[in-house]
Amino acid sequence: MKVGVPRALSYYRYFPLWKTLLEGVGAEVVLSGPTSEGLLENGVRHCVDDICVPVKLYYGHLMDLAGKCDRVFVSRLVSVEKAENDTYTCPKLIGLPDMVKSALEGMPPMVEFVVDIQNRSLKSSVKKVGAELGAPAATMRRVLPEALAVQELYEGELLKGVAPEDAMRKVLGKNGNGAKRGRHAAINKHAKEINIALVGHEYLIHDYFISHDLPSKLARLGANVTYMTQVPPDVIERELGHYGGISWSYEKELLGSAAHFLGRSDIDGVMLVIGFACGPDSIIGEIIAREVITEASPPLTTLVLDEHTGEAGVATRVEAFVDLIRRASRKKR
Amino acid sequence: MKVATPHMGNAYIPLSALLSNLGAEVIIPPRPTRKSIDMGALHAPEFVCLPFKVNLGDNFRALQMGADTLAMVSGMWACRFGYYGRVQHQILRDVGYEFDSVLLGRDGLAPVYNKFRDTVDGNLLLGWVHAVRAFKRKAEAMDALEKLARKIRPFERGRGSSSNTLAQGLELVHNAQTLKEINAAREESLALLRDIETETGGPEPLKIAVLGEIYAVLEPALNFDIERKLGEMGIQAYPVMSVYKWLFRPLKIDPSIIVDERLARRIAKPYIAYVLGGEEHQTITGTIRAGRKGYDGVIHLYPFTCMPENICRTILPRIEKEFDIPVLNLCLDEHASPTGVATRLEAFSDLLNARRRKNAK
Repeated sequence: MKVGVPRALSYYRYFPLWKTLLEGVGAEVVLSGPTSEGLLENGVRHCVDDICVPVKLYYGHLMDLAGKCDRVFVSRLVSVEKAENDTYTCPKLIGLPDMVKSALEGMPPMVEFVVDIQNRSLKSSVKKVGAELGAPAATMRRVLPEALAVQELYEGELLKGVAPEDAMRKVLGKNGNGAKRGRHAAINKHAKEINIALVGHEYLIHDYFISHDLPSKLARLGANVTYMTQVPPDVIERELGHYGGISWSYEKELLGSAAHFLGRSDIDGVMLVIGFACGPDSIIGEIIAREVITEASPPLTTLVLDEHTGEAGVATRVEAFVDLIRRASRKKR
Repeated sequence: MKVATPHMGNAYIPLSALLSNLGAEVIIPPRPTRKSIDMGALHAPEFVCLPFKVNLGDNFRALQMGADTLAMVSGMWACRFGYYGRVQHQILRDVGYEFDSVLLGRDGLAPVYNKFRDTVDGNLLLGWVHAVRAFKRKAEAMDALEKLARKIRPFERGRGSSSNTLAQGLELVHNAQTLKEINAAREESLALLRDIETETGGPEPLKIAVLGEIYAVLEPALNFDIERKLGEMGIQAYPVMSVYKWLFRPLKIDPSIIVDERLARRIAKPYIAYVLGGEEHQTITGTIRAGRKGYDGVIHLYPFTCMPENICRTILPRIEKEFDIPVLNLCLDEHASPTGVATRLEAFSDLLNARRRKNAK
């Protein structure tokens, strides 16, 4: 059986787990192609107008899979951490399968992967998917620890600062996700003088079509890029102690890592990358800009991406930001 | 203490009764206007939802009128509304205003309860009991008046007479002090509404359910008073939510609201499997019910980029087909114009009339 996985949204978080699981139970994994103009256009056409770009991209990737597989793998992230208070992800991630079911016609039947850690463990969610695909209990007993181990390995790579798709190749093998060679080989040639931290959802920053390859752009301008995924969870937790009261798990990561970077003296600038019409980020961006920043903080800029953002617009803003940081550091000397 | 809250339909009537009974001076900002919304939009994040901008504009007005305390509900939900108070008050402080925040829900009930220790004469608990009773009585009176006016409006002989009488009645209720006076004001206003000259015997008016994001449905400044507009076009409007329901839902004291909420969740379950934090269950269930009851159509209102309602909007076309009920989606933001909305409403009512004629054949 072929199971299609869209290369969007939670792919960047959970793909190693999914792939090990699906292949372990005897399914073949078909990934949608890398984001392209046609794919995005297709997504935009079938989506409600004022929804955020990542969801539009998700639609595009799903439609790319139609006809190529027997089942499509759709994730529903309800809560992704165990906490005392209620925690959620964005409503769109909670309602994603509901939207897809109603909006897209002619899609293969869905395999729903529900992550609701407040109410059930990740293990039981994985087991449920296995059962849905008809895997016997004995197979699941073998596959489950394997899948969780690969996922842990992957998260370790992310912590080291490897970009998601490169990290996937590392843990899954060369053809693990069908993406091209490591992006950072070419970039590392340039000398690095300044440190810029990128804060934003990985499905935006690391979808190099929609972000116009932001990390490489920065690297080419001589910036050493630090990703949000490099901030360990305990540091985020500590930072959140000062700015608590947020229920969106992924936005907590944004806020915590932004606060961490804005308090570090070796970081010269922080870029907050958000998608247009992203609900939680419109609030979190404001909280970061108003509650976290102090006189001593490095400069912060916000880059808003949408399906119309032109490459030149992104390049201009990135260059201006880097120039500003350079000038400031010259002055200091 | 001079307290102000942002507007939400006629919620200011019970809310000011509550606060003034607690000994606070209540500042009621003027209803949101283009100018106050622009003021809010200027200082708000770019693509936050419209209610944030409208509320922020109200808060600006209130502070300019001398309010020294701003009250707002807040919570840790999946919807952005829970963070309004926190972010808005920070924005206002950054602009340079100084004031006290009362965020109901964020730090539990105790701080809000104790806030009024100095302003209440005598026993604090007794003060709260009196205040909540006046609040409840006024909310009920307001709800009864709104309901009756809604029923009469499509049949009124003089255009606008029921809306004008409703405004008079609400003013009477608002000015009433004791429980006795509130009851008298309610009866008097209801009588005034019943006295409105009506025309009956015409064709049965179109029945349209109005639903969607709660603020967009209930705040006339946002939806260009759609309820009145529909009524004056001779259409019977059925809003799925009401200010009364919105105020009493979190208090969990009215059993009919609790039952209604549970039922709505159950009916919406096949379409939305998990709670999204907004009015999604009411939107989905409202549309299904409108189809089942044989209404002519549904108007779905939501602010630009509203997260739960965007998901509903994706799902509604499926319900539209399954239950054979036409839905008009109206997305509202600070750039929406009354003419644009009016044109769409007229076109929608024309379509519904044509559909009715066709079905009658």
